Amino acid sequence: MHKHRWWLGLIAFALLSPRVEAAPLQQARFPNGVKLVVEEDHSAPVAMVQIWLKVGGRDEVPGKTGLAHVFEHMMFKGSRRLAAGEFSKRIAAMGGTDNAFTSHDFTAYFETVPADHVDEVLDMEAERFAHLKLDAREFAKEIRVIMEERRMRTEDDPNSHMFEELSAAALRLHPYRNPVIGWMQDLKRLTIEDVRAFYRRHYVPGNVIVVVVGDVDFAHVRRVVKRTFGRLKARSVPPRFNPVEPEPLGPKRIEVHLPAQLPTVIMSMPVPVWRPGENDREAAALAVATQLLAGGYSARLQRELVDRQRLAFATAAGYDPFGMGIDLWYAYGMLGPKQKVADFERGFWRLMADMARNPVAADALAAAKRNMIASEVFAQDSLYLRAKEIGRMEVVGIGARHRDDWLAAIRQVTADDVRRAVGRWLRPERATTGVLVPEVKQ
Amino acid sequence: MKRWWVFAWLMCAPALAWAVPPIQEARLDNGLRVLLMEAHQVPMVAMQLNVAAGSRFDPAGRAGCASLLAAMLTDHTARHTHEQWNRLLDKDAIKLGADVDVDRLSLSLTVLREALAPGLDALGEALLQPGWRKSRFAQLRQDAVAAAQKALEEPGVVASQEGRALLFGAHPYGHRPAGTPETLKRIRLRDLRTLYARQVRPRDAVLAVSGDITMDELLSLLKPRLASWQGAPTRGIFDLASPQPAQGKRKDIAMPTSQTLVQFIRLGPARNARDFFPIFVLNHILGGGGFASRLMDEVREKRGLVYGIYSYFVPRAVSGPFVIMLQTRADQAEEASRIVRRVLADMAAGHISERALSAAKANLVGGFAQRMDSNRERVGLMSMIGMYDLPLDYLQQWTEHVRQVRLRDVRAEARHWLEPKAWNEVRVGPPAHR
Repeated sequence: MHKHRWWLGLIAFALLSPRVEAAPLQQARFPNGVKLVVEEDHSAPVAMVQIWLKVGGRDEVPGKTGLAHVFEHMMFKGSRRLAAGEFSKRIAAMGGTDNAFTSHDFTAYFETVPADHVDEVLDMEAERFAHLKLDAREFAKEIRVIMEERRMRTEDDPNSHMFEELSAAALRLHPYRNPVIGWMQDLKRLTIEDVRAFYRRHYVPGNVIVVVVGDVDFAHVRRVVKRTFGRLKARSVPPRFNPVEPEPLGPKRIEVHLPAQLPTVIMSMPVPVWRPGENDREAAALAVATQLLAGGYSARLQRELVDRQRLAFATAAGYDPFGMGIDLWYAYGMLGPKQKVADFERGFWRLMADMARNPVAADALAAAKRNMIASEVFAQDSLYLRAKEIGRMEVVGIGARHRDDWLAAIRQVTADDVRRAVGRWLRPERATTGVLVPEVKQ
Repeated sequence: MKRWWVFAWLMCAPALAWAVPPIQEARLDNGLRVLLMEAHQVPMVAMQLNVAAGSRFDPAGRAGCASLLAAMLTDHTARHTHEQWNRLLDKDAIKLGADVDVDRLSLSLTVLREALAPGLDALGEALLQPGWRKSRFAQLRQDAVAAAQKALEEPGVVASQEGRALLFGAHPYGHRPAGTPETLKRIRLRDLRTLYARQVRPRDAVLAVSGDITMDELLSLLKPRLASWQGAPTRGIFDLASPQPAQGKRKDIAMPTSQTLVQFIRLGPARNARDFFPIFVLNHILGGGGFASRLMDEVREKRGLVYGIYSYFVPRAVSGPFVIMLQTRADQAEEASRIVRRVLADMAAGHISERALSAAKANLVGGFAQRMDSNRERVGLMSMIGMYDLPLDYLQQWTEHVRQVRLRDVRAEARHWLEPKAWNEVRVGPPAHR
């Protein structure tokens, strides 16, 4: 009976499988190590330019956390040709918007502009990359801005503050233990010399991936990149910091006492990321398991822990298969006034044990996969997300050419793969649990 | 084939201005307006069904009623329990959501092109066959109460709540659509049913659609599914008194944070204001234009006091709020507040240069295509155009309206809107530094 349903599910899935219409990627590599990836889309006269750097929070040395992100801010503070702030003003004058983001694994600068301005944007990006000013007075102002950013995002947000503490407690070696924005204690001691040293070491052509998605012609963009980024002098590329996180030896637990209204409880554990051709089945199974737990309307965390057992009022889980080294998998529950932390934890681990023991029903598995693939199609609707996916896969070493392989891996996941992946990785003895304990203070 | 043709046309005529895709319009017999922009490059369809049933229709003291109605409509139906319903939606990767602002309640649907028929079945069933199960209502309300309490951990939520109350008082715009723990607890299932019966009606409701579909296809799918929906809402979207302006008030709220949030708030223009575009450009210069705006330059770039500062206005059926927001280390709040007031006074006195105006216009005109380069954005724009009765060529005329804004228009608007005394101020932060 069970087998029969499983087959039915597969057939239905095959019939209903949508075409994922990503345009073909066109790529070029230049002798100095700069790489270019273009996805043409002529549906609107708009283009997204993203400059991705293989440098992020993981490349900071102890005592200098936050440096990669501080550096990202300094890229807007003037170069040989452009005064502080002028980069953004010029982009605005074109009718564009610009910004940047930093993670543990990468730094990326992006501009959305009318397509006829792409040449100028690439020229400006290459200029600031090569000739950044790094003025001490600008740094003194900007570091204050960044401390305000930290206060806003972390210190005054009890949930993200707790997640920061949890990451530091869960991991021993891996750089995901440090916040990208940096510890306040480190931010206070960073100097312009630190910023300059970081620039010299990491902002080298071999670390650059230029991604352009939109109403452009590949051959033309390649010529423009050749005479801008392509002209930079080749320099040695420092190896990336990627230590092997030791296996957890038993459960860990922290409490964070902060002014807050209601408790939150998070369970987290280190899990593998996707290494194409090596662990496709396992990484895809973890992604499908996470979808079953927290994606779509039938998400089991929501249906079982919130609706049926009334152990929390909101839940979520997250897995990022495109990290470097490991991912810190998590699930959390936000608890209402009368709900108890211990009850939520018990309910959560009972659910995980069930998933490790009993194969998921065929229809639920098919629905989970279909939703994951549909999300890929919906993401094609945004230039930003398309460029980000390409840059992301390039910068962590997966390679954007493997974009479709991930969907293929998802399609092949079986109920047994899910059961095994949960049983192997999402176990209480591997977990660090964090509890936000509301502190009443007026 | 069609895609190839569009591509060839673009290549041959690169100098032509980009033609904004036209909005196609149809009206069903029951009075529902259907607006469509075709977009065939991604095999998906997005849509939003808007009715005049926003939070301004919440009964007095029961803020959150419209939001709970939205949650109930998408939770289960008369034909499916919530568990059956969730499975039904997930089976075809149907994204069915609901949202509420002060004027509108909207149901949104995003589906793969191939799942359009079951997607529209689901939208029709959620809209026309509500389940009203008591046990689910009790759970949804209890979870909403907890979520509303959790939200009070965010200074921005506290400021928004206090700012609205200060500005609008008892006017129907005076509360957050999500409600508070106290107001949510008072809501009964019959409040939802009353709101539904009175306001969730097809006459003058708007269904905005963008994606891989034509009007003929769309109408033939819609008609059988929505034919039984009938009637007109008790109150139309413009059937609302304008709020009385509150000016120069100050409210401080204690919160154990390291920063103080400073919010300036006053009444802004309505959606159909005749001088909408000059005000829009003025706000872009003030604090709506990101790094190019005056507030960002003075408070962040010159002084390093904040990570972000911005201004916006929320144009609704009648005057909505006009807001300036910043967060800074508590002991700097006074200084930051003083600088904002100085910028307001300076601009109100006419100190806006031709250069600043042309920079703002260039940014807005050049960036126009970006405002509508996804199905989601197009659906949002068409919903707004449809509900507030803006002309159907609004998007075609948009850049021209911006171009026509003159310096003296902007200066006149600055005099009218930016006078510092007319702004109210809410601060949320540690008591010692308020």
